[in-house]
Amino acid sequence: MSQDRHLILDNCIKCNICVANCPVVKVTDQYAGPKQNGPDLERFRLDEPAAVHPSIGYCSNCKTCDFVCPSGVNVATMNCKAKGEYVALNGAPLRDQVLGRVELICKAAQIAPSIVNWAAGVGPFRAMGEALFGVAAQMPFPRFATKTFLQQFKPKKIAHPKGKVLYYPGCYVNYYTPEVGLALAKVFAHNGIEMVVDDFNCCGLPTVSNGLMDAAKAYGVNNLAKLNRYIKEGYAVVTTCPSCNLMLRQEYHELFDMDTTLVTENTYDAFEYLLMCHEKGQLDRNLKRLPRRYGYHQPCHLRAVGYGVPSLEILRLIPELQVTALDAGCCGLSGSYGFKKEKYPIAREIGQNIVRAVADTGVKQAVTECGMCQLQVNHVTGLPVVHPIQLLAEAYGL
Amino acid sequence: MMNKKTDVLIIGAGLSGLLAAAKAVESGKGVTVAAKGMGSLSLSSGCIDLWGYDIDDPQRVCQNPLAQIARLNEVNPEHPYTKVADVLEESLRYFQGLTERYGCPYRDNGGANWLLPTALGTFRPSFLAPPSMALRDLDKAKRIVIVGYEELKDFYPEVMASNLARNGNLPESVKLTVVKLRSAWKKLYATTLAHRLEQAEGIREAVEQIKAHIVDGTVVLFPPVLGERLDIDVTGQLAKALGAPVYEVANIPPALPGQRLQQLLLKHLRNAGVDVIIGCTFTGAKVEGNRCLQVTAEGAGKTFTFSAKTYILATGAFVGGGLDSRIGEAREVIFNLPVRTAEKWASGEFLSMNGHGFNRFGIAVNDRLQPLDREGRVCLENVRITGANLAGANGPIEKCGNGIAVASGYKAGKLAGEVAQ
Ligand SMILES: Cc1cc2nc3c(=O)[nH]c(=O)nc-3n(C[C@H](O)[C@H](O)[C@H](O)COP(=O)(O)OP(=O)(O)OC[C@H]3O[C@@H](n4cnc5c(N)ncnc54)[C@H](O)[C@@H]3O)c2cc1C
Ligand code: SF4
Ligand code: SF4
Repeated sequence: MSQDRHLILDNCIKCNICVANCPVVKVTDQYAGPKQNGPDLERFRLDEPAAVHPSIGYCSNCKTCDFVCPSGVNVATMNCKAKGEYVALNGAPLRDQVLGRVELICKAAQIAPSIVNWAAGVGPFRAMGEALFGVAAQMPFPRFATKTFLQQFKPKKIAHPKGKVLYYPGCYVNYYTPEVGLALAKVFAHNGIEMVVDDFNCCGLPTVSNGLMDAAKAYGVNNLAKLNRYIKEGYAVVTTCPSCNLMLRQEYHELFDMDTTLVTENTYDAFEYLLMCHEKGQLDRNLKRLPRRYGYHQPCHLRAVGYGVPSLEILRLIPELQVTALDAGCCGLSGSYGFKKEKYPIAREIGQNIVRAVADTGVKQAVTECGMCQLQVNHVTGLPVVHPIQLLAEAYGL
Repeated sequence: MMNKKTDVLIIGAGLSGLLAAAKAVESGKGVTVAAKGMGSLSLSSGCIDLWGYDIDDPQRVCQNPLAQIARLNEVNPEHPYTKVADVLEESLRYFQGLTERYGCPYRDNGGANWLLPTALGTFRPSFLAPPSMALRDLDKAKRIVIVGYEELKDFYPEVMASNLARNGNLPESVKLTVVKLRSAWKKLYATTLAHRLEQAEGIREAVEQIKAHIVDGTVVLFPPVLGERLDIDVTGQLAKALGAPVYEVANIPPALPGQRLQQLLLKHLRNAGVDVIIGCTFTGAKVEGNRCLQVTAEGAGKTFTFSAKTYILATGAFVGGGLDSRIGEAREVIFNLPVRTAEKWASGEFLSMNGHGFNRFGIAVNDRLQPLDREGRVCLENVRITGANLAGANGPIEKCGNGIAVASGYKAGKLAGEVAQ
């Protein structure tokens, strides 16, 4: 898995496939692009870590460049590190320091989620937020749940479990959409799989995307130690958020050179796990009809894992449920990126691919794994959006 | 470990892999395309080269590529075309039909090669061209307007104009005009400009600055940046607004016509129900006797497997990543198939007219595209080889890369479709 830094650099054949596919380069003249910021400048950074183009902040860390590159160059990782160097040298605006620490915002908001939700929807407050801090007023914030997932989850003891999983919900599910975690708990219990949870740090992806490398690394160290303990006790780690998944199983290693061998091997997307159960014949196939049609949006960080879309394979088992792939590429939001005043128009323009795909397919509701993608798909199209695990739970009648 | 099952697994998402998938799925079988990254289509001009120069006189452009290819049986029986001769014309018609269905009908030049202008002011032979490039009778134009952008790197209209003039193929009376546009956008990559031209603003910006140079009988030439999307006809919009025909010339990558073709094929595969997975690197195979049972893939550091009835190896050569080389040795990375090499790997000159030996490296196959060992026996009967992976062609010199990809992809897909369920 680990590759020498020079070796990866030398793999770049300057073919420009990454530039041709980068969603940001396409829609703005502000960004110098993946090849230049990644492998081109990385060569200089071997000697001079500060060789970073100031436009690096425009990389949304969508990872499209990584998976289209035919030579296996991890461009986005180079960009993340470069952004880290840039921020270490020049500092980050207060806004980015806050947006990058999702965990802190969420914890603070827990004091009074309904007041925070109310304030987040008030136009004048948002206008002030844009003028003073550069937070785009037009981008709706997700709404905090009144009770977190961890507060609501009740472990179920299963006599002879077919499997033991530790669920890592991530900030989005824990604070904004606990119903996703609860649906997963029901699906697992229904299929005789034991599920436990614990208190973890944020995976650190938003932190990395804002160039706050030290903070992200500290999260990584804590999370890894705890995850390893569970894995040694025989638990598989399961996520419902593709970004958390990618962070745990790949990025801690690539960004911080941590030893993630155990975690990489034992971390699964919820549907990847369910698919394996299905192949062993351990999944209950008694599913109710769901005579509805959804448009499926594939989150970039799920695409980046390169194993296709396990959720679609499971959803195909539900009678009469029609799921049409939107195949629109990146949704544009990329976590906190689209909340920034100067990036909001870029995020919105990239999101037009979703708008067109929805018009083309005529779907009236959408399904996708990533919380942030859910937010953006809803923002640009107005369609209701759910997580695939909610459909599965419903088809089980749970 | 996750194992994925499918009837036909195509490894590689270049032109040959995508075409193999399109053909195979017509049989009603389950088809999956999985690849490490995108193929060289988005690097290529977007035209389908079949056979560029005369076999007997390599300085001369070939007048009838199909007839010359038919002669390969005698002069170069190891050439990949000899393995796909039976479907060559059928595959080209199939390809043209597919592109027509998605509103980008690739045009032939009545059996002869097109001679298409390049950004360097030369002409390159190609067999099929998208409508935005299929330019006939440039010498009959009264005026040729070559459009560039101050903000766009990698396209120098002055260079193109002076070489075009010097090439001497054009009558004296043709007037060459260079128009260098200024865009409101400060930095332009080919894709950035393509996006800008898909907006009304981008078209307006261009038309306002070109308009004054148009007279009766003008042909307008652009770098290959006229839009990325299939549903917006930037070339048509410009032509209408300018009142003159507009074409894209061939240029170094990234060139948008190749990307549009890639997009078109991916769209078709999606409509046809093919699973396409990008970002997945294949590293090995499990073989029993002369059948492949399973292949191993890696994504985000983790290993999983695929099993299928037919495997189509469309991983390209050195550029695509299908072949790997060390000093004195070349190898195929997934099945470890024998790679046919040559005494001499490279010619001393970088741009040698005889081409480099390594371009001919590849996997030897029979006429069912099954890989052969050094004794000429089939090594894996349920594996088919396509495109740049095949031994014996010299794409850069012969100008045949995409032609072989189309014919061999089509044939492999067809054969996979015929395998009993
Ligand atoms: C810069 C350039 C310009 C060209 N221009 C033209 C032109 O104008 N006209 C023309 O006719 N021909 C042109 N060619 C040649 C032509 O593009 C190729 O011969 C042809 O497209 C090859 O297609 P392919 O499908 O065989 O392979 P490729 O397009 O190379 O695709 C290979 C695929 O396999 C994948 N892959 C490789 N290894 C693995 C692995 N281990 N696991 C998973 N996936 C893997 C890659 O990611 C990729 O998706 C050009 C070639 C280049 C490099
Ligand atoms: S990083 Fe990869 S895709 Fe980008 S130019 Fe280099 S080899 Fe090509
Ligand atoms: S991560 Fe996304 S935005 Fe950043 S360079 Fe790569 S493709 Fe572009």
